[in-house]
Amino acid sequence: MASLVSHPDEIRVVTKRFGQGATDLDRYLALDGYQAIQKALAMTPDDIITLVKNSGLRGRGGAGFNTGMKWSFVPKQSAKPKYVLCNGDESEPGTCKDRLIFEHDPHSVIEGVMIAALAVGSHTGYIYIRGEYRYLSVIMQRALKDAYARGFLGKNIFGSGYDLDIYWHGGAGAYEVGEESALMESLEGKRGIPRIRPPFPAVVGLWGGPTVINNAETLASVPPIILGGPDWYANLGTPKNGGTRMFCLSGHLNRPGVYELPMGYNLKKMIYEVGGGIPGGRALKAVVPGGSSTPILLADEIDVAMDFDSLAKAGSMLGSGGVVVLDDTTCMVKFALRTIKFYQHESCGWCIPCREGTDWLKKTLTRFHAGAGMKKDIDNIYYLAENMLGKTFCPLGDAAAMPTMAFVKKFRKEFEDHLDGKPCPFEKAAEPVMV
Amino acid sequence: MSVIKNIGAIAKGMSITFGEMLQPTTVENYPDGPGPLKGAQFQERFRGTHVLQRDENGLEKCVACFLCAAACPSNCIYIEAAENTAEQRISGAERYAKVYNIDYNRCIFCGYCVEACPTDAITHGHGFESATFNASALVYRKEQMLSPTPAHMGSNSVFNHADVEAGAPALPQAGS
Amino acid sequence: MADLTLTVDGKKLTAPAGTLLIEACKSVGIEVPSFCYYPNLSLQGACRMCLVKIEKMPKLQTACTTVISEGMVVATDSDEVRQARKSMVELLLGNHPLDCPVCDAGGECELQDMAFSYGAAESKFMEAKNHKDEQQWSPVVYFDRPRCILCYRCVRVCGEGMDVWALGVQNRGVSSVIAPNKQDHLECEECGMCIDICPVGALTSGAYRYKTRPWEMNHIGTTCTHCADGCKTTLGVRRSDTGMEIVRGDNRDKSGINNDFLCIKGRYAFDFAHSTERLTQPLIRKDGKLSPATWEEAFALAGKNFAEIRTAHGGEAIGVVGSSRTTNEENYLLSKFARMVLGTNNVDHHRTADFPALAAALRGKSGQTASMRDVLSAPAILLIGNNPTEQHPLLAWQIRSNVRLRRAKLYVVNSQPIKLRRQAAGFAQIPAGAEAHAVAFLAGDDAALDHLVHQSATRESLLALRDKLRAETGLVVAFSSEIRGADVARLVHSKFAGAKFIALADYANSRGAADMGLYPDLLPGYEPLTTDSRFAQEWGTLPTVPGLTVPAMAAAAKAGTLKALYVVGANPVARFGLDPFAFSGSFVVVQDMFLTETALMADIVLPAANAYEKSGTFTNTCGDLQLVKKAGEVAGVKSDFEMIVRIADAMGFEVRKLVPFGGGTHADMGQSRGAQSGEADRHSVWLEAHGLEPRMSPFDPVAIFDEIQRLVPSYHVSRLDLLAGNDQHTDIGEAGPGAAHDPNLIIPANDDLFSSGTLGRYSHTLNSVMENKNAPAPSEVGAD
Repeated sequence: MASLVSHPDEIRVVTKRFGQGATDLDRYLALDGYQAIQKALAMTPDDIITLVKNSGLRGRGGAGFNTGMKWSFVPKQSAKPKYVLCNGDESEPGTCKDRLIFEHDPHSVIEGVMIAALAVGSHTGYIYIRGEYRYLSVIMQRALKDAYARGFLGKNIFGSGYDLDIYWHGGAGAYEVGEESALMESLEGKRGIPRIRPPFPAVVGLWGGPTVINNAETLASVPPIILGGPDWYANLGTPKNGGTRMFCLSGHLNRPGVYELPMGYNLKKMIYEVGGGIPGGRALKAVVPGGSSTPILLADEIDVAMDFDSLAKAGSMLGSGGVVVLDDTTCMVKFALRTIKFYQHESCGWCIPCREGTDWLKKTLTRFHAGAGMKKDIDNIYYLAENMLGKTFCPLGDAAAMPTMAFVKKFRKEFEDHLDGKPCPFEKAAEPVMV
Repeated sequence: MSVIKNIGAIAKGMSITFGEMLQPTTVENYPDGPGPLKGAQFQERFRGTHVLQRDENGLEKCVACFLCAAACPSNCIYIEAAENTAEQRISGAERYAKVYNIDYNRCIFCGYCVEACPTDAITHGHGFESATFNASALVYRKEQMLSPTPAHMGSNSVFNHADVEAGAPALPQAGS
Repeated sequence: MADLTLTVDGKKLTAPAGTLLIEACKSVGIEVPSFCYYPNLSLQGACRMCLVKIEKMPKLQTACTTVISEGMVVATDSDEVRQARKSMVELLLGNHPLDCPVCDAGGECELQDMAFSYGAAESKFMEAKNHKDEQQWSPVVYFDRPRCILCYRCVRVCGEGMDVWALGVQNRGVSSVIAPNKQDHLECEECGMCIDICPVGALTSGAYRYKTRPWEMNHIGTTCTHCADGCKTTLGVRRSDTGMEIVRGDNRDKSGINNDFLCIKGRYAFDFAHSTERLTQPLIRKDGKLSPATWEEAFALAGKNFAEIRTAHGGEAIGVVGSSRTTNEENYLLSKFARMVLGTNNVDHHRTADFPALAAALRGKSGQTASMRDVLSAPAILLIGNNPTEQHPLLAWQIRSNVRLRRAKLYVVNSQPIKLRRQAAGFAQIPAGAEAHAVAFLAGDDAALDHLVHQSATRESLLALRDKLRAETGLVVAFSSEIRGADVARLVHSKFAGAKFIALADYANSRGAADMGLYPDLLPGYEPLTTDSRFAQEWGTLPTVPGLTVPAMAAAAKAGTLKALYVVGANPVARFGLDPFAFSGSFVVVQDMFLTETALMADIVLPAANAYEKSGTFTNTCGDLQLVKKAGEVAGVKSDFEMIVRIADAMGFEVRKLVPFGGGTHADMGQSRGAQSGEADRHSVWLEAHGLEPRMSPFDPVAIFDEIQRLVPSYHVSRLDLLAGNDQHTDIGEAGPGAAHDPNLIIPANDDLFSSGTLGRYSHTLNSVMENKNAPAPSEVGAD
């Protein structure tokens, strides 16, 4: 287990119990645990949804959709059972926040799922944990067992007459399953392949029932919102981007780690103050602001507020909050290759552009980086990515295409430096470390 | 004056006659000329009877795709395909031509088959003495058109083992 | 549903709400390309070929998953869309091998077509293509992974269409691969639907593999000669040294009652025609041995002996056994030949269903028989007995499709847990042999319940099932051959509102043989043997005493009263278990393709053409009349029709009375036809449909078909539609009164998916599949 880092600018909402032994149920209860659910049990479902809507909480998985709004799409009446899913299939390179939540505060996720279930009138919840996080599923199993033992889950929770079951489920190691409908397929025991939408999960989801699916961090944010009130939470961040968010700083930094900072925190400040700047006083080259699928930002583009809207304006995305910092010793061709290798490996193979496109990008970039590149390859790489963008079945193709296009556009010169059989100019440089 | 004019015209005409008389001859002495071609001369591009080519391993290039037959305007090519096996490998691909006939009663030597061939298996050779008194002798079989095995392949016993053992000529001649 | 109006490429079009955009475009002739979209299979959105631009949508949308909406504005041919399609083809070709010259799909490959349409001729990639060796999954299925474009059509048609689920996907990303259910091989029904539906050459057929190329074949749409469902099959034929060889069977144009469905027999089991054991020369027994002879010798001998026996002993001394696999025209002709030329009612065939009883029960009630198309559209289906998955693959396909696509309700009453129970809304497993009791119970006799209670079928569940059935309207009832005689009548008269019936027989033209009067006591159209029947009026005086059944003929032969036997395309010795020595005193003529048990004891064996090598009509078990067209050709054989006529001629009979040829009104020798073959074809269809084509030849089955249409009431169907290649339903309720039979004469063929009587014995494909399955060959050898 990694040691915890901290910074004075942090506002601890989701992370407030980290390092305090909250995996233990008694300890969790002592730290205001299971207070929010009891409060929520006294509220009407509509009130819960309105409260969450007003808090400005936006999905922490990457897309940034208003959580309360998402819950309100679930029909009140349904012939089929409704489900609440917690998406803990955190696999985006550069992102490692859900892992810490599961590790330090599993009950907050359970409580979040319970509140979501109350809000939409569901009696079954699933917490889906990434396949590689096997040790976290052990923690989660214990937390669930403890909660059942106290009567917090199962029949008649907290004596309210409401029945609620929550199960955990482990993935089999596929990035694709982070996509919500693929996660449902996986949960149903099939290959993790996304579904055709519409119908959307809120109407037809898991086993055909209306389904709410939220990121683990989103759900862990819900209990504090219920307790602290919507205005308190909304005011932590910027307008329309309520609350705080866990940023995973990695790459060439003196103090990498996960920091919970208010939304709209300045990226430059985040790198140089929170992250402690770049080792050896080297110059900043570029920053990936929100996980490997977000377009890269150049050193002169980093004076930007880290919220969904500001980053969209800057031509990138907030994504899942994985900030990867690259200094001037980094070969961008190699970085592009490393990124595309990941997507090539993780493409589910369902649709043509993603399956074939990522493979050819990988093949071309491998040859290119090895020094056998030709001038037309640069355009070819861009052409391939451009033709994947927006044409794939699910966003994975876009996630591979967007950063690739940004690499070629912003670092064309560096690509050209690899031409004519020249060796990689950065060959001796240290490879960037992704957490 | 007209007499002088006429004499001048005759002289001019005869000068060409006598001048050409002294040039080397371009007449082909076919069939009385020397060599195996009996004096016939060809442009490289001459389209004679077909030759079915082999690849560098001595395998037949023809994969029996039927494109020559499809392209043929006189419908003179007949093919039956069969599958190569590990024991009996005839062509480089999965399939080979078990039967490949060209009916020279019908062939118009247009070269469309050569154009159509995706594997450069069929080419026009320079064979031209195909006249015969028996029309059925003008249906050429694959064995008659197949190019000889490259010298380094020896008797091609690897690929036509059964044939060679049965006493077939190991080196079939083109257009023979 | 309400109609919606939308605009596609500037064209306004209207389609019902709920229509997919790709189908709406197709309806006005705008082709949106696609690989993974296939009508009636689940939607995938995987190939991204059908991306179109819809106004107000930021991204391109797949037309195959988009449902139309009012006022939608769609562009299917903009630069953006064309570029998207081009890039998809480019990406596919990246790993697709360029082995079109040796690929079986070359020339009819959808990827080739797309590459031509969207021109991705230049390759942008330099790296090696991914390769994997070809695999053989079963005797008939080969898989070439590099050619596969992962459209998942095969997976879906196998699972959703066939309910076999033998194919799946393994691995992910660029290593995704279609995989068979048993690791390296398939265990399935070998229907070949996956091969047929494959847009490229990834799945190829062991039967057609490397034999020819698509453009080298002629295609003839005819009717399958195996089971009684009557699938339309399009045979690809190619000239060979002995005539025309059939190299492929499929139904890609989706015409006919079976859409694109064919089972293993329809798709591959035409190879019996080229069996090395096929007879191609007449054989005459000389000195106790069958030795080759000329046709003239054979016909002269047969004619002379038949004529002598008829003169000396009367027609009663001659027996005739017909076939369930010869055409209606041949069956009718044989029936006529027996009565008119031989003067005997000793006519029989191998019966596999009680059609006379159905005719009797439905007498005068038209509209109570179901066609094969009705099975696809009926709101509810009741299946009593039989296992259609094995015995009636098309019926099973129609039922499955109906349940899947139209939510029809299927009710199954069977003594076995047959596979179709998976689609059933109600299933009652009754004790073996209790089908008749089940019918009695369904007809309202509660006392029969005692015989039915068995395993999961309790009194309550059975009563509930009957109540549900009674509540259904428009029920289609298909019943097996166990339901015979009075039980048929009981079933027909049970209280099911608006029910339609199908009697399930076993051979391609079992129904036709019954309809054409191959019975000792019935004339064509189930007419009784009366002196004033329309046939007596047409044919002249006919014998009116009922003749002998097949077992009775054997007994008579043994007793010495049956002097001659004429067998046309049947194997009564094997099928009825007759003693071959019973006929040692009789003169036996057999027309068959192979030296069957019956042919072995014959005095004359005449090599016959099979149904793929002649023209005529077949009637399937539902009564759907369809054309049979000559596709293959094997030198040295003759059609049964020609042989019957030749024997009649050799007997000194005036052939024109048997086949009314030469009578047409105009002698159009082609002078009025256009130069183009298409026009000539249309012209000849028109002439033939109106009966104006002169019957120039005594061997022309259409001359007999004229007579059938004139004299058999249920065959009064549209000639034009029939000749245009459509199925025409004949209603047995419009036929004659029928008659009751000895139930023991109905013997099920017991063929399964991989056997088909004599034909199956000589089919290399069927045998290799059987060997592959390690399944014991059926102990009972086939008859027809």
